[in-house]
Amino acid sequence: MTTTPRSGTLFRLALMRRKRLLISLALGLLAFESLIVAVAAAIPVDQLMATKPAPASLDAFAGSSGGVQLASIAGLLGAGLLHPFWIALQLSAVESLGAAVVAGDVEDGTMELIGVRPVSRMRLLAERVAALKVAAAVLCLVAVIPLVVGRWISNSVETAATVSGLFVAALAGYALVFCFIGVAVLASCAARRRAVVLGVVGATAAGAYAINFIAQAWESARFARWISPFNYYRPGDALVGSAFPWRDVLVLGAAGAVFMLIAALILRRRELV
Amino acid sequence: MSAIKCSGLSKRYGKSRGISNISFSVEPGEVMGFLGTNGAGKTTTLRAMLGLLRPSAGSVSILGLDPQKDRKELTPNIGYLPGELRLYESLTGTEHLALLGDLQGKESTRRNEVCERLQLSQADLRRPIREYSRGMKQKIGLVQAFQHEPKAVFLDEPTEGLDPVVQRSFSQMLSEFSNAGNAVFLSSHVMSEVQQTCSRVAVIKQGELVKVDSVDALREARSRRIKVLFGDSVNPSDLSFPEEFNASWRSNECILHVNREEVVGVLKALLVRELIDVTVEEASLDEAVIALYDGGEQ
Repeated sequence: MTTTPRSGTLFRLALMRRKRLLISLALGLLAFESLIVAVAAAIPVDQLMATKPAPASLDAFAGSSGGVQLASIAGLLGAGLLHPFWIALQLSAVESLGAAVVAGDVEDGTMELIGVRPVSRMRLLAERVAALKVAAAVLCLVAVIPLVVGRWISNSVETAATVSGLFVAALAGYALVFCFIGVAVLASCAARRRAVVLGVVGATAAGAYAINFIAQAWESARFARWISPFNYYRPGDALVGSAFPWRDVLVLGAAGAVFMLIAALILRRRELV
Repeated sequence: MSAIKCSGLSKRYGKSRGISNISFSVEPGEVMGFLGTNGAGKTTTLRAMLGLLRPSAGSVSILGLDPQKDRKELTPNIGYLPGELRLYESLTGTEHLALLGDLQGKESTRRNEVCERLQLSQADLRRPIREYSRGMKQKIGLVQAFQHEPKAVFLDEPTEGLDPVVQRSFSQMLSEFSNAGNAVFLSSHVMSEVQQTCSRVAVIKQGELVKVDSVDALREARSRRIKVLFGDSVNPSDLSFPEEFNASWRSNECILHVNREEVVGVLKALLVRELIDVTVEEASLDEAVIALYDGGEQ
């Protein structure tokens, strides 16, 4: 009897095959952010407050456009959500699941088994990208759990980060990761090897990170920050309860969506074996 | 209506050759072999037939449907075993078969039966694929190709890595499958396997089909092999045979390759000598195919 292929199979497979990696990344984020919260909570506030404002490039390390100084509790917590370790762990998930969207199966030869079944290319893409989005969303939420706990146990953390600010910071982090998911999916739909996806995502993230800080530190390069996704991610500002960063979230979301649209167009045309 | 029909199928890769103008058909209930050397174009043909590659020219019809346009309707009714079978190493055998079954769009009604016939125990199926031997992986590949009762199967080197007992069981299974009116397209370079299971063969050479014929006709067209053991009174150096007989000597034993029409005459000529034993053998499929590859038929 002919039936419809069970929906969600590829979604579950994508997460099941990477469950150990995702659990490890989640634990890593929990441990790292807990450390940041513990350090921030342990420092007396009067020792942190600088007498003179720090340069804008240093505020950028705190994930702020100038409203939150790095040498403050909110600044430290914001820095924890923009630290290269946070970025590396988030991108590890993006690269691993992103490479597996298409390129991994093409490289391994497992695409042949899927290709002779009634699963359309768009369904393959949709289910695997959905898995990637869910994994990224969970990791972004996991990263702010220590801050939520920190608000309960430390007055200084409670004062520095608002409840709504924590969720806005998580959402802003997800918007940044979403943009890189778009890059990973685009590379995966165009490439035949995982290494290409890893290289493209890694190089894009490293370049964007460098551009953001060079642009903030060097007046002549200021204009270049608009092309870096990191310019649209300011967890420090979010934590202190600034206005919801609609523009930043929309820019990152639109960039990710455009990359995914191009990926879908490439996937429709390419050979899968 | 043919179960499988290829008409002028071509696939080019830039300037490289690929396959060119492949045409043949497979009838319901038929097992057709597809022979060729490594790199001749067997796998490319299979992939183009199944819609895994987009043909540069020509058309394919499987069970009356187009593999590209009617993919959703067609694929639940076909089974495919790739030549270079790759599986998800982290999944167990059971998980793998369930995954591919879920994606098949058809109930996996024969899974347990095929597992049993290929000696794939429940204990084996509970182990992750990464612990499987080559033969065990091949069994999983065969089960996933047959578990949903397809009407046409495409097998690329199906017995690779299987032990002789399972090979025999698989041959029986294939025979029952075709006797039930289903079509089989079997690509292989193991001639004995093709000779045993296929009624017709298509031979591909450098991307082009050079022959489509029954196994019997191919062998029939080839020369007979006459093996003669002479008595001690016969001195091999006293005997001379025409060059086309391709005579080869080992001590007092001589092997000749003789056209079917000339066999009786040659035997008559040999019988005047002291002979201990004479056997006349039909050419094997290997010899017939090798002759095609060498550029002609005898």
